Amino acid sequence: MERVWKWFAIRGRSVNSIAYSFHRITGIVLLIYLILHLGFLTSLRFGESLYTAFISTTVKPETLPLDSLLFLATFYHAFNGFRVVLNEFGLFYEVRRALIYLMTLLTLIFWIYSTYLMYTYVVR
Amino acid sequence: MEVTLKILRFDPLKDKKPRFQEYVVEVYEYTRVLEALIWVRENLDPSLSFRYSCRMAQCGSCGMLIDEVPRLACKTLIKDLGRDEVTIKPLPKYRVIKDLVVEMDDFFEKHRSVKPYLIRKNREEQEKPKKFYVQLPHELQRYLNYGYCIVCGLCSSSCPNFDSSWEYLGPQALSQAYRYIVDSRDEGFEERYEVLNSNSGVWRCHFASECSENCPKGVEPAQAIQMLRRMILSFSFKKKLSLFSEKIHRLSKQ
Ligand code: HEM
Ligand code: FES
Repeated sequence: MERVWKWFAIRGRSVNSIAYSFHRITGIVLLIYLILHLGFLTSLRFGESLYTAFISTTVKPETLPLDSLLFLATFYHAFNGFRVVLNEFGLFYEVRRALIYLMTLLTLIFWIYSTYLMYTYVVR
Repeated sequence: MEVTLKILRFDPLKDKKPRFQEYVVEVYEYTRVLEALIWVRENLDPSLSFRYSCRMAQCGSCGMLIDEVPRLACKTLIKDLGRDEVTIKPLPKYRVIKDLVVEMDDFFEKHRSVKPYLIRKNREEQEKPKKFYVQLPHELQRYLNYGYCIVCGLCSSSCPNFDSSWEYLGPQALSQAYRYIVDSRDEGFEERYEVLNSNSGVWRCHFASECSENCPKGVEPAQAIQMLRRMILSFSFKKKLSLFSEKIHRLSKQ
Protein backbone atom coordinates (compact mmCIF):
# COMPACT_ATOMS: atom_id res chain seq x y z
CA MET A 1 0.00 0.00 0.00
CA GLU A 2 2.89 2.31 0.80
CA ARG A 3 4.10 1.85 -2.76
CA VAL A 4 0.74 2.87 -4.12
CA TRP A 5 0.90 6.12 -2.14
CA LYS A 6 4.23 6.85 -3.77
CA TRP A 7 2.49 7.24 -7.13
CA PHE A 8 1.14 10.45 -5.67
CA ALA A 9 4.31 11.73 -4.02
CA ILE A 10 4.89 15.38 -4.83
CA ARG A 11 8.09 16.31 -2.99
CA GLY A 12 11.15 16.40 -5.19
CA ARG A 13 9.11 15.65 -8.28
CA SER A 14 9.03 17.68 -11.47
CA VAL A 15 5.83 19.01 -12.98
CA ASN A 16 5.86 16.03 -15.38
CA SER A 17 5.27 13.43 -12.74
CA ILE A 18 2.89 15.65 -10.84
CA ALA A 19 0.82 15.66 -14.05
CA TYR A 20 1.13 11.88 -14.03
CA SER A 21 -0.11 11.69 -10.41
CA PHE A 22 -3.07 13.93 -11.19
CA HIS A 23 -3.90 11.84 -14.24
CA ARG A 24 -4.04 8.76 -12.08
CA ILE A 25 -6.16 10.48 -9.41
CA THR A 26 -8.61 11.92 -11.95
CA GLY A 27 -8.78 8.56 -13.74
CA ILE A 28 -9.80 6.88 -10.48
CA VAL A 29 -12.31 9.65 -9.73
CA LEU A 30 -13.86 9.21 -13.18
CA LEU A 31 -13.97 5.46 -12.69
CA ILE A 32 -15.80 5.86 -9.36
CA TYR A 33 -18.20 8.31 -11.00
CA LEU A 34 -18.80 5.92 -13.88
CA ILE A 35 -19.63 3.09 -11.48
CA LEU A 36 -22.04 5.31 -9.54
CA HIS A 37 -23.56 6.54 -12.79
CA LEU A 38 -24.15 3.01 -14.04
CA GLY A 39 -25.54 2.10 -10.62
CA PHE A 40 -28.04 4.94 -10.84
CA LEU A 41 -29.07 3.90 -14.34
CA THR A 42 -29.43 0.29 -13.24
CA SER A 43 -31.84 1.42 -10.52
CA LEU A 44 -34.27 2.31 -13.33
CA ARG A 45 -34.83 -1.40 -13.80
CA PHE A 46 -36.28 -1.53 -10.30
CA GLY A 47 -38.80 1.18 -10.96
CA GLU A 48 -38.95 4.88 -11.53
CA SER A 49 -39.45 5.78 -7.87
CA LEU A 50 -36.12 4.27 -6.83
CA TYR A 51 -34.34 6.14 -9.60
CA THR A 52 -36.03 9.38 -8.61
CA ALA A 53 -35.08 8.82 -4.98
CA PHE A 54 -31.45 8.36 -5.99
CA ILE A 55 -31.41 11.32 -8.32
CA SER A 56 -33.06 13.66 -5.84
CA THR A 57 -30.17 13.10 -3.41
CA THR A 58 -27.51 14.11 -5.92
CA VAL A 59 -29.13 16.46 -8.42
CA LYS A 60 -29.79 19.68 -6.55
CA PRO A 61 -28.15 23.11 -6.34
CA GLU A 62 -26.16 22.21 -3.21
CA THR A 63 -24.27 19.45 -5.00
CA LEU A 64 -23.39 21.72 -7.91
CA PRO A 65 -19.83 22.30 -6.63
CA LEU A 66 -19.30 18.54 -6.83
CA ASP A 67 -20.48 18.54 -10.44
CA SER A 68 -18.10 21.37 -11.12
CA LEU A 69 -15.23 19.36 -9.60
CA LEU A 70 -16.23 16.37 -11.69
CA PHE A 71 -15.96 18.54 -14.80
CA LEU A 72 -12.55 19.70 -13.64
CA ALA A 73 -11.38 16.10 -13.25
CA THR A 74 -12.88 15.16 -16.63
CA PHE A 75 -11.32 18.03 -18.55
CA TYR A 76 -7.98 17.50 -16.88
CA HIS A 77 -8.02 13.77 -17.61
CA ALA A 78 -9.10 14.27 -21.21
CA PHE A 79 -6.62 17.02 -22.10
CA ASN A 80 -3.76 15.50 -20.17
CA GLY A 81 -4.59 12.09 -21.62
CA PHE A 82 -4.35 13.61 -25.08
CA ARG A 83 -0.95 15.02 -24.16
CA VAL A 84 0.22 11.62 -22.91
CA VAL A 85 -0.94 10.02 -26.16
CA LEU A 86 1.00 12.58 -28.22
CA ASN A 87 4.12 12.24 -26.09
CA GLU A 88 3.96 8.47 -26.08
CA PHE A 89 3.94 8.49 -29.87
CA GLY A 90 7.27 10.28 -29.54
CA LEU A 91 5.81 13.63 -30.60
CA PHE A 92 6.59 17.02 -29.03
CA TYR A 93 9.12 15.47 -26.68
CA GLU A 94 11.26 18.59 -26.46
CA VAL A 95 8.32 20.80 -25.54
CA ARG A 96 6.73 18.33 -23.13
CA ARG A 97 6.72 20.82 -20.29
CA ALA A 98 5.11 23.56 -22.37
CA LEU A 99 2.52 21.01 -23.48
CA ILE A 100 1.63 20.34 -19.83
CA TYR A 101 1.10 24.04 -19.23
CA LEU A 102 -0.96 24.35 -22.40
CA MET A 103 -3.19 21.42 -21.47
CA THR A 104 -3.62 22.73 -17.93
CA LEU A 105 -4.60 26.10 -19.34
CA LEU A 106 -7.16 24.51 -21.66
CA THR A 107 -8.48 22.49 -18.72
CA LEU A 108 -8.96 25.64 -16.65
CA ILE A 109 -10.66 27.53 -19.49
CA PHE A 110 -13.07 24.68 -20.22
CA TRP A 111 -13.69 24.13 -16.54
CA ILE A 112 -14.47 27.77 -15.76
CA TYR A 113 -16.74 28.07 -18.79
CA SER A 114 -18.60 24.86 -17.96
CA THR A 115 -19.06 25.90 -14.34
CA TYR A 116 -20.33 29.28 -15.52
CA LEU A 117 -22.86 27.56 -17.78
CA MET A 118 -23.90 25.21 -15.02
CA TYR A 119 -24.61 28.02 -12.58
CA THR A 120 -26.39 30.28 -15.05
CA TYR A 121 -28.56 27.33 -16.08
CA VAL A 122 -29.46 26.42 -12.50
CA VAL A 123 -30.11 30.05 -11.50
CA ARG A 124 -32.39 30.46 -14.49
CA MET B 1 28.76 29.21 5.87
CA GLU B 2 27.57 26.42 8.16
CA VAL B 3 25.22 23.78 6.83
CA THR B 4 23.54 20.91 8.67
CA LEU B 5 23.61 17.59 6.87
CA LYS B 6 20.65 15.50 7.95
CA ILE B 7 21.59 11.99 6.92
CA LEU B 8 19.35 8.93 7.00
CA ARG B 9 21.48 6.24 8.57
CA PHE B 10 20.94 2.52 8.88
CA ASP B 11 23.26 -0.13 10.20
CA PRO B 12 21.69 -3.58 9.81
CA LEU B 13 23.76 -4.92 12.72
CA LYS B 14 22.56 -2.26 15.18
CA ASP B 15 19.44 -0.50 13.93
CA LYS B 16 15.95 -1.88 13.61
CA LYS B 17 14.81 1.12 11.61
CA PRO B 18 16.62 3.85 9.65
CA ARG B 19 17.26 7.00 11.72
CA PHE B 20 18.35 10.54 10.96
CA GLN B 21 21.65 11.88 12.25
CA GLU B 22 22.76 15.48 11.90
CA TYR B 23 26.23 16.85 11.25
CA VAL B 24 27.23 20.48 11.05
CA VAL B 25 29.70 21.20 8.27
CA GLU B 26 31.51 24.35 7.19
CA VAL B 27 30.99 24.81 3.45
CA TYR B 28 32.27 27.17 0.78
CA GLU B 29 30.89 28.40 -2.47
CA TYR B 30 32.10 25.35 -4.39
CA THR B 31 31.68 22.64 -1.75
CA ARG B 32 29.87 19.66 -3.18
CA VAL B 33 27.75 17.26 -1.19
CA LEU B 34 30.32 14.50 -1.63
CA GLU B 35 33.09 16.69 -0.22
CA ALA B 36 30.96 17.48 2.81
CA LEU B 37 30.28 13.77 3.34
CA ILE B 38 33.98 12.94 3.07
CA TRP B 39 34.72 15.69 5.58
CA VAL B 40 32.17 14.26 8.00
CA ARG B 41 33.65 10.80 7.70
CA GLU B 42 37.20 12.05 8.24
CA ASN B 43 36.48 14.46 11.07
CA LEU B 44 33.25 13.58 12.82
CA ASP B 45 32.06 10.06 12.22
CA PRO B 46 34.19 7.34 10.58
CA SER B 47 31.24 4.94 10.61
CA LEU B 48 29.31 6.84 7.95
CA SER B 49 29.07 4.75 4.76
CA PHE B 50 28.62 5.99 1.21
CA ARG B 51 29.94 5.07 -2.21
CA TYR B 52 32.07 7.14 -4.52
CA SER B 53 35.03 6.75 -6.76
CA CYS B 54 35.74 9.28 -9.50
CA ARG B 55 34.41 12.49 -7.85
CA MET B 56 33.72 13.88 -11.32
CA ALA B 57 30.34 12.51 -12.43
CA GLN B 58 31.89 9.71 -14.45
CA CYS B 59 31.68 6.50 -12.44
CA GLY B 60 28.06 6.77 -11.33
CA SER B 61 28.72 5.51 -7.78
CA CYS B 62 27.59 8.43 -5.65
CA GLY B 63 23.87 8.58 -6.48
CA MET B 64 21.72 9.48 -3.47
CA LEU B 65 18.53 11.30 -2.60
CA ILE B 66 19.56 14.86 -1.84
CA ASP B 67 16.71 17.09 -0.68
CA GLU B 68 14.26 14.49 -2.01
CA VAL B 69 15.72 14.51 -5.54
CA PRO B 70 18.00 11.74 -6.84
CA ARG B 71 21.35 13.40 -7.60
CA LEU B 72 25.04 12.65 -7.83
CA ALA B 73 26.70 13.81 -4.61
CA CYS B 74 29.89 14.73 -6.44
CA LYS B 75 28.07 16.97 -8.92
CA THR B 76 25.70 18.76 -6.55
CA LEU B 77 26.89 22.08 -5.16
CA ILE B 78 25.53 22.66 -1.68
CA LYS B 79 25.15 26.34 -2.52
CA ASP B 80 22.75 25.45 -5.36
CA LEU B 81 20.40 23.71 -2.94
CA GLY B 82 19.90 27.10 -1.31
CA ARG B 83 19.23 25.79 2.20
CA ASP B 84 21.16 25.56 5.43
CA GLU B 85 19.83 22.10 6.13
CA VAL B 86 20.39 19.39 3.53
CA THR B 87 18.58 16.07 3.80
CA ILE B 88 20.47 13.10 2.42
CA LYS B 89 18.91 9.66 2.03
CA PRO B 90 19.89 6.52 0.14
CA LEU B 91 18.48 6.17 -3.38
CA PRO B 92 14.87 4.99 -3.19
CA LYS B 93 13.67 1.69 -4.76
CA TYR B 94 16.88 -0.16 -3.91
CA ARG B 95 17.58 -2.20 -0.77
CA VAL B 96 19.76 -0.33 1.70
CA ILE B 97 22.94 -2.18 2.68
CA LYS B 98 24.22 0.45 5.09
CA ASP B 99 23.59 4.18 5.43
CA LEU B 100 23.72 5.62 1.90
CA VAL B 101 24.93 2.42 0.23
CA VAL B 102 22.28 0.50 -1.69
CA GLU B 103 22.30 -2.86 -3.43
CA MET B 104 22.15 -2.42 -7.19
CA ASP B 105 22.48 -6.03 -8.39
CA ASP B 106 18.95 -6.09 -9.74
CA PHE B 107 19.49 -2.81 -11.55
CA PHE B 108 22.68 -4.08 -13.23
CA GLU B 109 20.96 -7.36 -14.05
CA LYS B 110 18.24 -5.42 -15.88
CA HIS B 111 20.87 -3.47 -17.75
CA ARG B 112 22.54 -6.73 -18.77
CA SER B 113 19.23 -8.25 -19.89
CA VAL B 114 18.91 -5.84 -22.83
CA LYS B 115 22.36 -6.88 -24.14
CA PRO B 116 24.06 -3.50 -23.92
CA TYR B 117 26.74 -4.14 -26.52
CA LEU B 118 27.04 -4.26 -30.30
CA ILE B 119 25.51 -7.37 -31.79
CA ARG B 120 26.30 -8.73 -35.25
CA LYS B 121 24.09 -11.36 -36.82
CA ASN B 122 27.14 -13.28 -37.98
CA ARG B 123 28.40 -15.12 -34.86
CA GLU B 124 31.91 -15.44 -36.17
CA GLU B 125 32.10 -11.74 -36.91
CA GLN B 126 30.75 -11.04 -33.42
CA GLU B 127 33.68 -12.84 -31.81
CA LYS B 128 36.39 -11.92 -34.32
CA PRO B 129 35.64 -8.74 -36.26
CA LYS B 130 37.88 -8.45 -39.31
CA LYS B 131 37.31 -4.86 -40.36
CA PHE B 132 36.62 -1.41 -39.01
CA TYR B 133 33.03 -0.27 -38.92
CA VAL B 134 33.02 3.18 -40.41
CA GLN B 135 30.48 5.52 -38.92
CA LEU B 136 29.38 8.89 -40.28
CA PRO B 137 28.77 11.89 -37.98
CA HIS B 138 25.00 11.75 -38.44
CA GLU B 139 25.04 8.07 -37.52
CA LEU B 140 26.90 8.92 -34.35
CA GLN B 141 24.37 11.61 -33.51
CA ARG B 142 21.57 9.05 -33.45
CA TYR B 143 22.84 7.45 -30.25
CA LEU B 144 25.34 9.91 -28.80
CA ASN B 145 22.97 11.36 -26.19
CA TYR B 146 22.12 7.90 -24.85
CA GLY B 147 25.78 6.91 -24.89
CA TYR B 148 26.49 9.38 -22.10
CA CYS B 149 24.81 7.07 -19.59
CA ILE B 150 27.08 6.33 -16.59
CA VAL B 151 24.73 3.68 -15.12
CA CYS B 152 24.28 5.59 -11.86
CA GLY B 153 20.66 4.51 -11.45
CA LEU B 154 19.21 7.96 -10.75
CA CYS B 155 16.68 7.67 -13.59
CA SER B 156 15.34 4.30 -12.56
CA SER B 157 15.17 5.33 -8.93
CA SER B 158 13.14 8.41 -9.81
CA CYS B 159 10.58 6.52 -11.95
CA PRO B 160 7.20 6.46 -10.16
CA ASN B 161 6.30 3.17 -11.84
CA PHE B 162 9.04 1.33 -10.03
CA ASP B 163 7.15 1.86 -6.82
CA SER B 164 4.55 -0.63 -7.87
CA SER B 165 6.22 -2.82 -10.48
CA TRP B 166 9.66 -4.07 -9.59
CA GLU B 167 9.92 -6.23 -12.66
CA TYR B 168 9.92 -3.15 -14.94
CA LEU B 169 13.29 -2.90 -16.71
CA GLY B 170 13.31 0.83 -16.09
CA PRO B 171 14.52 3.84 -18.04
CA GLN B 172 18.22 3.03 -17.68
CA ALA B 173 18.08 -0.41 -19.27
CA LEU B 174 15.59 0.68 -21.93
CA SER B 175 17.54 3.75 -22.97
CA GLN B 176 20.65 1.60 -23.32
CA ALA B 177 18.76 -0.90 -25.46
CA TYR B 178 17.84 2.04 -27.69
CA ARG B 179 21.41 3.35 -27.69
CA TYR B 180 22.64 0.08 -29.27
CA ILE B 181 19.66 -0.53 -31.51
CA VAL B 182 20.06 2.79 -33.33
CA ASP B 183 23.81 2.33 -33.65
CA SER B 184 24.60 1.78 -37.34
CA ARG B 185 27.02 -1.03 -36.39
CA ASP B 186 24.42 -3.00 -34.47
CA GLU B 187 22.13 -5.72 -35.83
CA GLY B 188 20.60 -6.86 -32.57
CA PHE B 189 17.08 -5.44 -32.63
CA GLU B 190 15.44 -8.83 -33.15
CA GLU B 191 17.53 -10.38 -30.39
CA ARG B 192 16.39 -7.71 -27.95
CA TYR B 193 12.81 -7.58 -29.22
CA GLU B 194 11.51 -10.27 -26.86
CA VAL B 195 12.64 -8.63 -23.62
CA LEU B 196 11.72 -5.10 -24.76
CA ASN B 197 8.22 -6.16 -25.77
CA SER B 198 7.72 -8.29 -22.63
CA ASN B 199 5.59 -7.53 -19.62
CA SER B 200 8.51 -5.75 -17.99
CA GLY B 201 9.48 -3.86 -21.12
CA VAL B 202 8.62 -0.57 -22.80
CA TRP B 203 4.86 -0.77 -22.25
CA ARG B 204 5.24 -0.16 -18.51
CA CYS B 205 6.22 3.46 -19.09
CA HIS B 206 3.54 6.08 -18.35
CA PHE B 207 5.60 9.01 -19.51
CA ALA B 208 6.07 10.71 -16.16
CA SER B 209 9.46 11.56 -17.76
CA GLU B 210 11.04 11.98 -14.34
CA CYS B 211 13.99 9.92 -15.64
CA SER B 212 14.95 12.58 -18.17
CA GLU B 213 14.51 15.33 -15.58
CA ASN B 214 16.91 13.71 -13.14
CA CYS B 215 19.67 12.40 -15.40
CA PRO B 216 22.92 14.09 -14.38
CA LYS B 217 24.36 13.57 -17.87
CA GLY B 218 21.48 14.97 -19.88
CA VAL B 219 20.44 11.60 -21.30
CA GLU B 220 16.80 11.41 -22.40
CA PRO B 221 15.55 7.94 -21.40
CA ALA B 222 11.90 9.00 -21.64
CA GLN B 223 12.41 9.78 -25.31
CA ALA B 224 14.30 6.54 -25.96
CA ILE B 225 11.43 4.48 -24.54
CA GLN B 226 8.87 6.14 -26.82
CA MET B 227 11.11 5.61 -29.86
CA LEU B 228 11.54 1.95 -28.90
CA ARG B 229 7.76 1.62 -28.72
CA ARG B 230 7.47 2.92 -32.25
CA MET B 231 10.10 0.48 -33.48
CA ILE B 232 8.47 -2.43 -31.71
CA LEU B 233 5.05 -1.52 -33.06
CA SER B 234 6.21 -1.24 -36.64
CA PHE B 235 8.29 -4.42 -36.36
CA SER B 236 5.36 -6.41 -34.92
CA PHE B 237 3.06 -4.97 -37.55
CA LYS B 238 5.41 -5.92 -40.38
CA LYS B 239 5.84 -9.39 -38.92
CA LYS B 240 2.08 -9.90 -38.67
CA LEU B 241 1.62 -8.54 -42.18
CA SER B 242 4.17 -10.90 -43.68
CA LEU B 243 2.64 -13.88 -41.84
CA PHE B 244 -0.75 -12.84 -43.16
CA SER B 245 0.41 -12.44 -46.75
CA GLU B 246 2.19 -15.80 -46.52
CA LYS B 247 -1.06 -17.38 -45.43
CA ILE B 248 -2.95 -15.76 -48.33
CA HIS B 249 -0.24 -16.95 -50.68
CA ARG B 250 -0.54 -20.51 -49.42
CA LEU B 251 -4.34 -20.45 -49.62
CA SER B 252 -4.30 -19.10 -53.15
CA LYS B 253 -2.02 -21.95 -54.24
CA GLN B 254 -4.34 -24.65 -52.90
C1 HEM C 1 -11.38 11.95 -23.44
C2 HEM C 1 -11.39 10.86 -22.69
C3 HEM C 1 -10.17 10.19 -22.11
C4 HEM C 1 -8.85 10.23 -22.52
C5 HEM C 1 -8.23 11.00 -23.67
C6 HEM C 1 -8.12 9.37 -21.62
C7 HEM C 1 -6.78 9.11 -21.70
C8 HEM C 1 -6.08 8.27 -20.86
C9 HEM C 1 -4.72 7.86 -21.04
C10 HEM C 1 -3.81 8.26 -22.19
C11 HEM C 1 -4.39 7.06 -20.00
C12 HEM C 1 -3.04 6.37 -19.76
C13 HEM C 1 -2.21 7.24 -18.89
C14 HEM C 1 -0.89 6.65 -18.58
O1 HEM C 1 -0.25 6.04 -19.46
O2 HEM C 1 -0.45 6.82 -17.44
C15 HEM C 1 -5.55 6.96 -19.14
C16 HEM C 1 -5.60 6.26 -17.96
C17 HEM C 1 -6.73 6.06 -17.21
N1 HEM C 1 -8.00 6.53 -17.49
FE1 HEM C 1 -8.49 7.74 -19.03
N2 HEM C 1 -8.99 8.85 -20.67
C18 HEM C 1 -10.25 9.32 -20.95
C19 HEM C 1 -11.40 9.04 -20.26
C20 HEM C 1 -11.48 8.25 -19.12
C21 HEM C 1 -12.73 7.93 -18.42
C22 HEM C 1 -14.12 8.35 -18.85
C23 HEM C 1 -12.38 7.19 -17.33
C24 HEM C 1 -13.32 6.63 -16.30
C25 HEM C 1 -13.67 5.41 -16.25
C26 HEM C 1 -10.93 7.04 -17.34
C27 HEM C 1 -10.20 6.35 -16.39
C28 HEM C 1 -8.85 6.11 -16.47
C29 HEM C 1 -8.09 5.38 -15.49
C30 HEM C 1 -8.63 4.74 -14.20
C31 HEM C 1 -6.77 5.35 -15.95
C32 HEM C 1 -5.58 4.67 -15.29
C33 HEM C 1 -4.73 5.69 -14.63
C34 HEM C 1 -3.26 5.41 -14.72
O3 HEM C 1 -2.84 4.38 -15.29
O4 HEM C 1 -2.50 6.24 -14.22
N3 HEM C 1 -10.43 7.70 -18.45
N4 HEM C 1 -6.57 7.70 -19.69
S1 FES D 1 31.89 9.83 -7.52
FE1 FES D 1 31.84 9.10 -9.55
S2 FES D 1 29.94 9.87 -10.22
FE2 FES D 1 30.10 10.80 -8.30
